[in-house]
Amino acid sequence: MPLTALMTEALLLGVSSGPVCLASCTPVLIPVLAAEQKSPRGTGALLAQFLGGRLAGYLAFACLAWLVGLSLQLQPRAHALIYGLADLGLAIFLASYALAMRAHPAASCDQPCPAARARLFAHRFRSFAPVILGFVSGLTLCPPFVAAGVRAAESGGLAHSLLFFLCFFFGTSIWFAPSVGLGLLRRFAAVGVVARLTLFLLAGYYGYLALIVLGRVVLHD
Amino acid sequence: MTDRVLPTPRRSIGKSLLLTLPILLWSLLMFSRSMIEPGRAPKLAAAATLVFMVALFFQMMRTLETHRWRRYFFVALGFLFPVGFIWQLYALRGSMSIPVERMLSGDTPFCFLAIPMMILPAAVAGTVIFPGSILPTASNPHAIAAMVALWFAATLVLGKGWCSYGCFFGGIEEGFSAIPKKPRIRRLDPRWRWMPWAVLAAIVLLSAATLEPVYCMWLCPFKAVTEYPAVRSFETAVQMGIFITLFAGLVVVLPLLTKKRTQCSFLCPFGAFQSIFNKTGAFDIRLDQSKCTPCVLCEKACPTMSITPEAVAAGKPLMSCMKCGACVDACVRDAAVWHIKGTEVGASSERARLMYLYSAWAFAVMFGGSIIAGALEKLFGLMV
Amino acid sequence: MKKLRSILGNTGAVLTLALAVLAPFLLFGWFQAAIGAAHLRIDPTYSGGQISHVIDRANYRIVVNRPVPRRSPLQRIGPFVQVTWTPAASLPAHFSDDVDLDGDGTPDVRVAIDSQNLSVDVAPLNARYRPMHSQGVTSFSALIARVKDGLVVRIPL
Repeated sequence: MPLTALMTEALLLGVSSGPVCLASCTPVLIPVLAAEQKSPRGTGALLAQFLGGRLAGYLAFACLAWLVGLSLQLQPRAHALIYGLADLGLAIFLASYALAMRAHPAASCDQPCPAARARLFAHRFRSFAPVILGFVSGLTLCPPFVAAGVRAAESGGLAHSLLFFLCFFFGTSIWFAPSVGLGLLRRFAAVGVVARLTLFLLAGYYGYLALIVLGRVVLHD
Repeated sequence: MTDRVLPTPRRSIGKSLLLTLPILLWSLLMFSRSMIEPGRAPKLAAAATLVFMVALFFQMMRTLETHRWRRYFFVALGFLFPVGFIWQLYALRGSMSIPVERMLSGDTPFCFLAIPMMILPAAVAGTVIFPGSILPTASNPHAIAAMVALWFAATLVLGKGWCSYGCFFGGIEEGFSAIPKKPRIRRLDPRWRWMPWAVLAAIVLLSAATLEPVYCMWLCPFKAVTEYPAVRSFETAVQMGIFITLFAGLVVVLPLLTKKRTQCSFLCPFGAFQSIFNKTGAFDIRLDQSKCTPCVLCEKACPTMSITPEAVAAGKPLMSCMKCGACVDACVRDAAVWHIKGTEVGASSERARLMYLYSAWAFAVMFGGSIIAGALEKLFGLMV
Repeated sequence: MKKLRSILGNTGAVLTLALAVLAPFLLFGWFQAAIGAAHLRIDPTYSGGQISHVIDRANYRIVVNRPVPRRSPLQRIGPFVQVTWTPAASLPAHFSDDVDLDGDGTPDVRVAIDSQNLSVDVAPLNARYRPMHSQGVTSFSALIARVKDGLVVRIPL
């Protein structure tokens, strides 16, 4: 298949699948972007980090599947196990992130104390958070991703597959662009408070889901 | 209790009766159908409700107070709605739990609390993520279109006043908050006020992502007094535990301790959603800076902590104001006043109050009054 | 400007009062009709999806709905296809049917139903479908339930 036709097909598939990807990512993405309270430009940078992490998550799994020869159409139990672990990781991460947002690096401290070191760690953790959240989101194996992965594998050759997948990813990411507008809300301090509280609520929800899903996987052994 | 600086005003009985007349006529119109139904119970219930609603409005006119009389209606609505609803459930299926069969057949009555969660999936995919029916049927008169239409009409008229005149759950905690003479807990961290917005954001995003009504499944405290999914698994048992805990904590215990509507202030995402419509309504409450001392009586009286020092400085309550009138009645200097947007603050506050009350009470008689009458009919049916 | 705002404000107040009076007579009906005309439908996870085809038997019909896919990775209710046997009153206590689910004329699953105890066993005749045993409601995507005049079975995909 000619390269341009392949890329166009991938892009259109991505654009048509974008709403599904957006719906599954927004519970995590919107509160994170709102809580950071950065300008539209800063929010755009955070979004880029998130999408980068998401792409890394997709590619990591795709490469693993390619190398090991696994079918992307997983058995339900393996699917549930990945989902459960991803949800658990997401829950712990969201709660930690919301707590880290309250921390500021030690302003001036000649002898760094444990509390100051903890604050510094929290600050650095927060810097990497969008990437890691994107990576965990990318592991959720949404149906469009699976379909695109299968189609990519059929396109022949690793380079073609990766190009197809990248174009598909770009197509889905177009839908995320409007979330940069959250940067316009940064002047409302209440938005940050609400966003942090939302992160805690979401952490509770994902944590409970993880326990249910993993419990079912374990009990069926 | 602080003495009023200004003498307590009262309107003459004649004038009060005259002002009550439109509500009397309206109530007769609204209850006329029940008056001609066979049997004594519907007639008695309609008559009792009519007298109740008209008497309360008369008192509002006579005493120039709003909150105290409105509260009697609202508490009656809050306690009688579950009576009528649960009665109906037991008559239909002998249980409060919703069997899956009822969900599959689209017979689950629609609750207005689900509205915020429905918007995104309906707008994007054209589907309603609720196990009900779009249009009313013989087996489900409380269909989605009917309830959304009712809510929309009420919101156009009341704005967030829905939470003071329409919500058939809010009266329960308002009743409990009215019992103690003084609060045991006086200081509540004002940052918790943002929790309903966080709950709203979380349930809207999660419902769009999971395509299920997340609040109804996990967080609604009023499932404890209406209907809930049958407890058949660990998951549904946990859900029921959450409902009962939230109801006991936020609807019963905390209102008793704080004399505030804590469920409305700290959880209810629908209240946060309705706050948006405070911007669209024609009426609001203002704080006249020229008369305010400030003595913070309004702040203490507000059931939803919508009056803060910042709000007083800005001259109006926060957008979470439910237009219950508690601050206006508590103010001893007539600094807190009813107001028609666009007009001068304090210039014609009684006219603003009257116009708002006619609108709100007309809706209250039509909607809340019918619920009260329905529950009373069932109770009277036992006796007559 | 001040006068204009005052006029607009008072007009809004009068309109609000008018809306309150008109609501039960006009507004409710208009709004309900508008929502009804919006072509909304109940989500297929609850409604079971649109009808695909009907299979006639001697004393009853089998209504097969279109498959309901999982449309979001966070959706907990899995993909399924809903099949309804109707009318329930004419169903035998125990029976078995080979059902064509995708409308290609070839049976895809063998469904054995105990209509008295509401249990169902589904044996796939096609790799697309999974075996299932359900006594009543196991989950929203795997169940047997008596709904109005029919026996509804949801078979997970």
